Amino acid sequence: MLSSILIWLLLAWSALGLMYFLYRACARVPRHDPKNLVHYLHPVDWDLLESLLDPAADFELRWRLSPREFREEQRCRMRLFRELLRRMSHNSAVLAEFDNALFGKDDFTPGPGSKVEEAAIKVRLYCTAARIKLRVWLSLPDTLRAVPMPDLARLRMAADLDGPKVYEELKAAAVEAFADLQPAELDALTRNL
Amino acid sequence: MGALLWYIPAPLLLLLVGVLVRRGAYRTFPFFFTYVAFGAAADVTRFLTQGHHSLYFWIYWLTDAGYALLGALAMYELLRKVLRGFSHIWWTHLIFPAVVTVGVGLSIWRMHVVPPQLQGPLRLWIVTGEIAVRIVQVFIFAGLVTFIGFFGFRWRQYPLGIAAGFGVYSTVALLTTIKFSDFGTRFRFLWDATSVVAYSFAVLIWIGFFFVPEKEEPPPNPETLAFALGTLNQYLDRLRRMR
Repeated sequence: MLSSILIWLLLAWSALGLMYFLYRACARVPRHDPKNLVHYLHPVDWDLLESLLDPAADFELRWRLSPREFREEQRCRMRLFRELLRRMSHNSAVLAEFDNALFGKDDFTPGPGSKVEEAAIKVRLYCTAARIKLRVWLSLPDTLRAVPMPDLARLRMAADLDGPKVYEELKAAAVEAFADLQPAELDALTRNL
Repeated sequence: MGALLWYIPAPLLLLLVGVLVRRGAYRTFPFFFTYVAFGAAADVTRFLTQGHHSLYFWIYWLTDAGYALLGALAMYELLRKVLRGFSHIWWTHLIFPAVVTVGVGLSIWRMHVVPPQLQGPLRLWIVTGEIAVRIVQVFIFAGLVTFIGFFGFRWRQYPLGIAAGFGVYSTVALLTTIKFSDFGTRFRFLWDATSVVAYSFAVLIWIGFFFVPEKEEPPPNPETLAFALGTLNQYLDRLRRMR
């Protein structure tokens, strides 16, 4: 009985997936002007990102603050990092969409995956894995003192990906893909990523 | 005339083989090309031997087993193409073995819970193997669509077109194979007709995707690229000095 239920669930999942796939494959590619790209991006404070992932910062806070103060401070830093992850994920989705628009101007032209697309997927994979970890850490009750507060530096790697490194690869791929922008627009692109 | 209806996919497969050869897809997707070529050859062989009952029996079931094996290899190739950018992540290499394990396990479990109404161990194990492969194909297709939808992928790509064809056919085929193993030969005509229609639809999807030549990613202008990379390097240098 259970085996039949599982197989039927799989069939239902596949049927829904097929309908969604056909809808996306036949949908028109949104027409985006690369000049508008910068306005869709959310700036990611790179210094803040590096400082949050710095193991020395975690060590200094543990040394300087009491255990209770450290837990509170660490929670604040986790929420801040979660916001940065949200921006990184958003930017990767925007870049992938604009890259797709740049590439798929024809109504139905199959094309291979691009560098921006691959880099964007890695960034989203990293952000998703890191956000899941953060969700688990933040859901730990504050009163559970037996569980030590984790170091934020551990989030540099998630899903076997180095977060800052894959984001830098995305920036480089984006610069290469949108190299035809005006110098001022290109400068704005690198600053906003 | 009625018997000819079962062979509708054969000319479509021959057309698809021609399209794949024209696009050079036998280099990019060798397993899928082999699957399609095998399918065309199998259909022709079945057509030629349908008058000889015992020979047709062996040809039918052996080509069925061949379809299942090549279908699984085609899905493996597809998964490798889609995940090529993640080959350095160790757990991506475990996805296909895990899906195959689930497929085989689920199929054998079902065989014990609902014993198929089939005569002979050969047919029993071939149908069980087919169910396992269909589960693998459905799983991979549904998983790919979820992955693509969530992470963002260009939808119009050859690997995804292949996945869509397998998704259509394997979903319907899994349903008909399960019902065939449950009810035996009582609803043979209905299951066969549904299977033929689904397979023809899948082949049409593949023809549709491969008919349009794949657009090459345009190379960037070297001058503008050098300027852009220079801007990026200057920006990164400024950041490093600020730390």
